[in-house]
Amino acid sequence: MLKYILKRLVMLIPVIMVTSFLIFWAMSLTGGDPALMLAGDNAKPEQIEQIREELGLNDPFIVRYGNYMKGMITGDMGQSYVTKRDVFKTFMERLPNTLMLGGAAVLIAVVVSLPLGIYTAIHQNTWKDTAGMIFALFGTSMPNFWLGLMLIILFSLKLGLFPTGGKGGLDSLVLPAVTVGFGLAALITRTTRSSMLDVLRQDYMTTARAKGCSEKQVITVHGLKNALIPIITAIGLQMSLVITGSVLAETVFSWPGIGRLVYDSISKRDVPMVTGAIIMCSILMCVINLVVDLIYAFFDPRIKAQYSKKG
Amino acid sequence: MEVGEYYMMAPFVLPGYPLCSVYPYLQTFPAIVPEDRNHFIFWRKEDMKRRLALLLSAAMLTVSLAGCGGGNSSSSGNAGSGNASGEAAGGGAAGGGAAGGAAAGHKETLIIGTDTDINNLDLQKQQDQINNIILKNTHQTLVFFNNGSSGDVRFDPCLATSWEFVDDTHIEMKLRDDVYFNDGAQTPMTAEDVKFTLDMAMDNMVASVLTGYVQCTVKDEHTIEIEIEKYNNEFVQSLASLPLAIQSKKAYDDGVENPYYIGTGPYKFDEWVEGEYCRLVKVEDYWGNEIPASENLAPGVAEVLEFRPYIEASSRVMALQAGEIDVCINPPINELQYLEEDENITVYEQTGTRLFYFAFNVEKAPWDNQTLRQAVACAIDRNAVLEAAVYGKGTPQTTILNRGLWGFYDEMDGFDYDVERAKSLMAEAGYPDGGLTTTLSYATGTPYEQIATIIQANLADIGITVTLEPMETATLKSACVDGSQELFLWRWNEDSKVDFVYRDLFYTGSGSNYHHYGDPKADEMIDIVATEKDEEKRLETARELQTYLVDACPQVPLYIANLVIAYNKDLQGQYFYGGGNHDWRHAYIAQ
Repeated sequence: MLKYILKRLVMLIPVIMVTSFLIFWAMSLTGGDPALMLAGDNAKPEQIEQIREELGLNDPFIVRYGNYMKGMITGDMGQSYVTKRDVFKTFMERLPNTLMLGGAAVLIAVVVSLPLGIYTAIHQNTWKDTAGMIFALFGTSMPNFWLGLMLIILFSLKLGLFPTGGKGGLDSLVLPAVTVGFGLAALITRTTRSSMLDVLRQDYMTTARAKGCSEKQVITVHGLKNALIPIITAIGLQMSLVITGSVLAETVFSWPGIGRLVYDSISKRDVPMVTGAIIMCSILMCVINLVVDLIYAFFDPRIKAQYSKKG
Repeated sequence: MEVGEYYMMAPFVLPGYPLCSVYPYLQTFPAIVPEDRNHFIFWRKEDMKRRLALLLSAAMLTVSLAGCGGGNSSSSGNAGSGNASGEAAGGGAAGGGAAGGAAAGHKETLIIGTDTDINNLDLQKQQDQINNIILKNTHQTLVFFNNGSSGDVRFDPCLATSWEFVDDTHIEMKLRDDVYFNDGAQTPMTAEDVKFTLDMAMDNMVASVLTGYVQCTVKDEHTIEIEIEKYNNEFVQSLASLPLAIQSKKAYDDGVENPYYIGTGPYKFDEWVEGEYCRLVKVEDYWGNEIPASENLAPGVAEVLEFRPYIEASSRVMALQAGEIDVCINPPINELQYLEEDENITVYEQTGTRLFYFAFNVEKAPWDNQTLRQAVACAIDRNAVLEAAVYGKGTPQTTILNRGLWGFYDEMDGFDYDVERAKSLMAEAGYPDGGLTTTLSYATGTPYEQIATIIQANLADIGITVTLEPMETATLKSACVDGSQELFLWRWNEDSKVDFVYRDLFYTGSGSNYHHYGDPKADEMIDIVATEKDEEKRLETARELQTYLVDACPQVPLYIANLVIAYNKDLQGQYFYGGGNHDWRHAYIAQ
């Protein structure tokens, strides 16, 4: 098992190489000179040239990429063009905020969607099932920013229960987490429902009932445990997406997370910040995927046995 | 259909419910248009698709609130009885209110909601307005740009008490002798600090502000002599630029962490958390504590100034309505009427300085044809552009200079909207039947998209087919520098120096001359305006230059957008600049 984990971690190296190359390449393709953005409107051509020289922007693409990777090996992800601050440090300052938002959103989503998914599966083809699925459908269709604004109007302006935005105490986390969590809940509800429906049709469920298990036991012990693998996959995927892509929610709620950082950096052509942040995000995604794979093993002994074999 | 019936369909719409904040998003749903802040009406159209869209959106919202708010009808009912105004009036959420330690009569903290992120507070390594607005409270310049607030003299002494030209290339400047830095040790500010600051600027990205600077010589502890390459009417005014505020040489020599944080202003840095807030606190032992409150260098009033970025405009407005912030910079124009209805909020408007314009790359055929450019200028309906872009909140403009600048002259004939004249100029230019196809490049977002759409329609009237090409600002800027664009939309904001308009935008070879315009006659006039000492002759040349450039038509000035800002009605002591470089040093919320 340990070997398997180590193997997966080593596989991060090519991921980082490919990601960094692709992002470097993409940023070089997208027109827009960082030196021009930095120099401001009144800058003279010679000053723009000086900035370009200082940032090494006159070097060929491959040299710039080589220099960047050289820095990476020594743990230096460079300095932001705009803020002049260390990229890694800036990212790590924002990461807890995003993890907090993502974690809270996933928690809300799981607490809402697991029971709802199970409930709708048990009551398949009844009005309860339909109501649950309508909820899921709207959750998927609802634009994040719209929902966020509606929640602010209701809970901040009208009821005065939560702040409209910014990162303050725990109360400031509620609305953004509900906004992000709502979309996730919808997807997890659908996955839970369909996975439970598959399991409920299995013969071992009938066997469990025949053995005299209560319906509650049948559902939670025999049913849910076997249905969990796709649900965990869905939660893991959603977690990855939340960490790397809550730009809209972070903007609406002025939440200082990674999504907003990347968005701002792209618009300012802050290549080191964008590259660093995306590399870090891809590492995070790999780690989340690894954790999800390990959780599979926890719930399914067959998978654990496979890992041991692979290890 | 009556409003009441609509409530039944979408119970989230309630009396007193501030829909203003979601207006832009409602436009996504074409079947709904808000009639006022409390009501929707149905757009009476037979189009079934639209009605379906309406039903769907109403249902989505109802269900969403049911899912997240817990019971749609009851929560809606409660919301109806809630009072957002009451919350705002309390202001409890805004920085904790007036604490016991605060001076009587004002709230301890003034919170300003900004529309952009603060990104770098190292004075000479940044150029962003938002950073400079903050730095204006903590640092001071040799010369202060007062925007004409104290009469005809637009530039006041600040850390320098007086200056005079010894000859054409040497300026002697006397400094205040009572100023010290907010470094905890009351280190005096001397001529060495001034020399250090100006020399350092020449190695940094703000060097363009000091164009012409040769060196600074320390004559004595409080006197400097600045040498410049050649005489320039506006060199001294350059020293009012915030990135050139005086920094402490000692802080740099001693290796203090972030030495650029140390200034001489009435406030000093407390904490900056990127993306969250920047907090400044009043300097208790400020060197100017004895200066009367009515004067420019007087101490601050509020104990704390806090700047919080709220990038999303609607969120910023709602934060103001909820009393979480005291000032909302750049509220969206389409939400103003709702803010105006709020008795706790003042919406302030004044003529701005930011000029939006349509421009040609005059190096690219057929736009190297002056008559053709003039034809296009006549085809553009500036009033329609103004209405579409900023709901009419601005002033159409003929000249190329930013309003309020020295020598501003808008009386020339110019090219008013006149399609017949445009057509006749088209014929004169060699295109009697139109038949031209071109591309208009602009930065994505408001107001450029609205402007571009109007201009596209205007030019179609004279037979010019325009393809719209929205792009990111960075990409557009590169295209403009490279000269690969044909037509483009741009804006220029300058409130103090005319040379930053004439030279930067129109001088042959200038880096910001995105028109790629070059004309020896214009260059000569630009030089005269910059260096002529005879005020009358200078003014005459400035007017002639503006008339000449309007006629040459490398750009078509469209409008100057108004400055609009919304704030807590009890805000006092602030000073607004049309260009947005507001002064918060003496601002506070009266209680």
